[in-house]
Amino acid sequence: MSDIRDEQDAHEFRAEALSLWRITFGPLIWALHFVCSYGATALVCAKAGAEAVPVLRMGIGIGTLLALALIFWFGLQAWRQWDLRRDREWENDAGTGEDRHQFLGHAGFLLAAISFIGVVYVALPALFIGTCA
Amino acid sequence: MTRPRTLPTAEGPYPPTEEMLNAPVSEAEQKRGGEELRAAWKTPEGWRYVTAVNNSEVGKWYCLTALAFMLIAGVLALLMRVQLAYPDMTFLDADRFNQFFTMHGSAMMFLFAVPMFEAISILILPAFLGARDMPFPRLSAYGYWCFLIGGCFVLGSLLFDAGPKAGWFMYPPLATKEEGVGPDIWLLGLSFIEVASIAAAVELIVGALKCRPPGMRVNIMPLYAWYVLVVGGMILFAFPPLIAGDFLFELERSFDWPFFDPTRGGDPILWQHLFWIFGHPEVYIVFLPSIAIAAMIVPTVAQRPIVGYSWIVLSAVGTGFLSFGLWVHHMFTTGLPQISLGFFSAASEAVVIPTGIQIFAFVATLMVGRVKLTLPMLWIAGALAIFVAGGLTGVMLAIVPFNWQVHDTYFIVAHLHYTLFGGMVFPVIAGVYYFYPFFAKKLLSERLGLWAFWLIFSGFNITFLPMHLTGLMGMPRRVFTYPESSGWGWLNLISTLGAFIVAAGFAVFLFDLLRPKKAQGQIPRNPWGAGTLEFSHDVPEEAWGARSVPYVTSRYPLWDQPKLLARMDAGRYYLPDAPEHQRETIVTSVIDAKPVHVQRVTGPAWITILAAIFTGGAFIFPTFHIYTPAIICAAFAIVCIMYWLWTSTARPPKDDMRDAGLGLRLPTYASGPQSVGWWGMWITMLGDATAFASVVFGFFFYWTARPDFPPEGAAHPAGLWVAVAALAAVAAWALTVAARESNARGQVTLARIALLLAPLAAGAAGVAAWAAVRDLDPTSHVYPAILWALMVWLVVHLGAGVLMQGYCLAGSVFGKMTPRHDAELRNVTLYWHFMAVKALVTTAVLGLAPGWLT
Repeated sequence: MSDIRDEQDAHEFRAEALSLWRITFGPLIWALHFVCSYGATALVCAKAGAEAVPVLRMGIGIGTLLALALIFWFGLQAWRQWDLRRDREWENDAGTGEDRHQFLGHAGFLLAAISFIGVVYVALPALFIGTCA
Repeated sequence: MTRPRTLPTAEGPYPPTEEMLNAPVSEAEQKRGGEELRAAWKTPEGWRYVTAVNNSEVGKWYCLTALAFMLIAGVLALLMRVQLAYPDMTFLDADRFNQFFTMHGSAMMFLFAVPMFEAISILILPAFLGARDMPFPRLSAYGYWCFLIGGCFVLGSLLFDAGPKAGWFMYPPLATKEEGVGPDIWLLGLSFIEVASIAAAVELIVGALKCRPPGMRVNIMPLYAWYVLVVGGMILFAFPPLIAGDFLFELERSFDWPFFDPTRGGDPILWQHLFWIFGHPEVYIVFLPSIAIAAMIVPTVAQRPIVGYSWIVLSAVGTGFLSFGLWVHHMFTTGLPQISLGFFSAASEAVVIPTGIQIFAFVATLMVGRVKLTLPMLWIAGALAIFVAGGLTGVMLAIVPFNWQVHDTYFIVAHLHYTLFGGMVFPVIAGVYYFYPFFAKKLLSERLGLWAFWLIFSGFNITFLPMHLTGLMGMPRRVFTYPESSGWGWLNLISTLGAFIVAAGFAVFLFDLLRPKKAQGQIPRNPWGAGTLEFSHDVPEEAWGARSVPYVTSRYPLWDQPKLLARMDAGRYYLPDAPEHQRETIVTSVIDAKPVHVQRVTGPAWITILAAIFTGGAFIFPTFHIYTPAIICAAFAIVCIMYWLWTSTARPPKDDMRDAGLGLRLPTYASGPQSVGWWGMWITMLGDATAFASVVFGFFFYWTARPDFPPEGAAHPAGLWVAVAALAAVAAWALTVAARESNARGQVTLARIALLLAPLAAGAAGVAAWAAVRDLDPTSHVYPAILWALMVWLVVHLGAGVLMQGYCLAGSVFGKMTPRHDAELRNVTLYWHFMAVKALVTTAVLGLAPGWLT
């Protein structure tokens, strides 16, 4: 019989014992990338001339690469936490600390994947459109 | 002085072993627990019934009220369809038609779709979680009464021919210049309801995070709870920009501050941004919780666990985020730069991915299960068919050139009705059929249900499918009539016929819903064979929610834990009694749902109704530019709320610990992040900070959008006063923190002195902020106007902060707050953390930004 004051789970899986926030890191980077791209475009198109547009596009390109790298890194961490290769478990539906840990990894990984696609989508206009008009 | 003992923590065995759970509960013990709980949770009778705050009562009233508002808005739609049936009809005149379409949209969105989500969640979320009630029952009740008063006020304007008529998104300058009180009714009436929505969101988030039963870790909580979390979070970030917009809009209408008037530096586009930053996420705010109902029905129908639980969580969270990157697709024709339009077009296409994933997960579950086509499933099937059609036109509309082509035509009307009927109305009706045995303890008729479904489904398609064509042929939305030569007449006639078929379907549904069902007798407890906790309910009804709060180890406890039901009924699990006849529920940790403490929940009260009436007065009087009674009402509302908090929340308990059952002893008081109040404050502040950020966004928006911002030679705020305001606000914050620390160390006198000085510093900050902008004329140009608006925002929040500090001081003096029982002070300090940041940002914008920008 274990006592409620045993912090066994918290030690084993300390990584996310404190919060749910980690799974939203991917989407948060997507949101940041989106806001920065939109804000920078609004500023450049309102305040700077046409000559600044290539700089803007370059900037969005660099920002996109950064965002993708970060999301990739979070995704990789989440993938390890999901630990699919070791135990081939997809559902993680038991009421145990291990399944909770792997579930959050799974969800985080999927959210990183969707954020990655989202960032690529949002960057495409800057790749194809060359003017503010 | 020595540091006093800290609060106790939970002690005893956990998790319970099978042996402990197998031990029988004696007859006498069962009887005693049941009687105590029945006494504690007794629903008030007779005319006192309206004082009930229990989630089952408030949830039912909320649902029925939202349904009634929906029917009224539906009747408006029918009247409009009559007017449009033939060319050159004179059934309604243009003015009344404008009022009707404005009110139809506003009521369906603000009085039906969003409140219905909150109503259903208040009604069923605690049952999914095996909880006794929501963490803040009186807050739900207060929200409900606000909703009822506000809704009747807004809809009532139609009876006096005084309704708003500028369309449900109230675009300026049309709406700012509109004569009469219509737009004021819209702005103030709906702001009032938005406040209630945010209150419900706070309640639901805390409920899903902290009120789960022991053992229900995040990976096994019902999908509905995941959706509630996501949608609650979205409300916190979507509604505040609209409230900020309403604030600016009403300042323009009442005091002529030119935020949206281009002749004095304003910009109508700012309203469009603020409205649609709310408006597009709002579509998902109504869609996600409805599809969450589908996520509960589908596994039951297929009699197997959902396929791809993690994928659905991804879909809910992903949609929640991406939906905030879509708002400009309502503004493709406003002349923004092409690249900007491209971003929103791309994000609008991307959101289809997570939205589609959940639909595939449902289809997969149905494919691998053994499906029995019940009525709820029929409505879900109809929902998926209609929603997918609406989603496909959505993909078309996300493409800028096509959007330009059909902008403001009936194509849009068709698209939005497909998404909302498929994404909201059908799943909600499915939910009514599915949960009816749970909340009414009766069953709805199979035969009438089939009639209702086929009438509404076919009627809907007859109404809205032709509208795609009507729109492509060029019929603009919101016209009250059209000439015969246009060639749209026959299509409109078909749509009108269809609308009446839909109405007939609703009549059948309503009859079935409301007819007396006395003859039906007692229904089975779990008629659909569901696996989730809501069908552990008591038949006949008991008001206690759960006889005992179970220990859960599975996503479908009724399927996987065969002895669970008997143990719950016997009171084998947690909180099986109520020795002090107090209402209580169990609070658990966020991730792993370990029991943390026992939370006392509030019971029936008149004070919530009074508070709602006075709050209503504070919003409704200004509509008619009557300010003195409004201020008096606001003051009384504050008094009522303070009284309610003082008398019934966070009182130091008689005993520190309580036997919670199964050998577990839990604390009866919590402070700081352990307590639900702290979470409520933190979540509310997140929403408040979003609204503040929206006003600050306005400042910088003007700077990018207008060459004359700030105008040349404009007077700026007085730098010295700005600096004083910043320093005084920081001092007020520091004193509050000092009070918390010294109080916790047992230095009560020191804490009281700090709490006495802190409001003085806060007051000084407010006066200094006012003095800084006093000489500027807010009606002359948008630059001084937005500075004044920021000042007003700051002063109002400082005022709230002062009240809180005074409340803590009084608590300390009158023994409600002690060094150990300091929940209020911790919550107030949290408020002041946010307050300090807001004050610094405001003073930076007032004092520094003019220098940077010019």
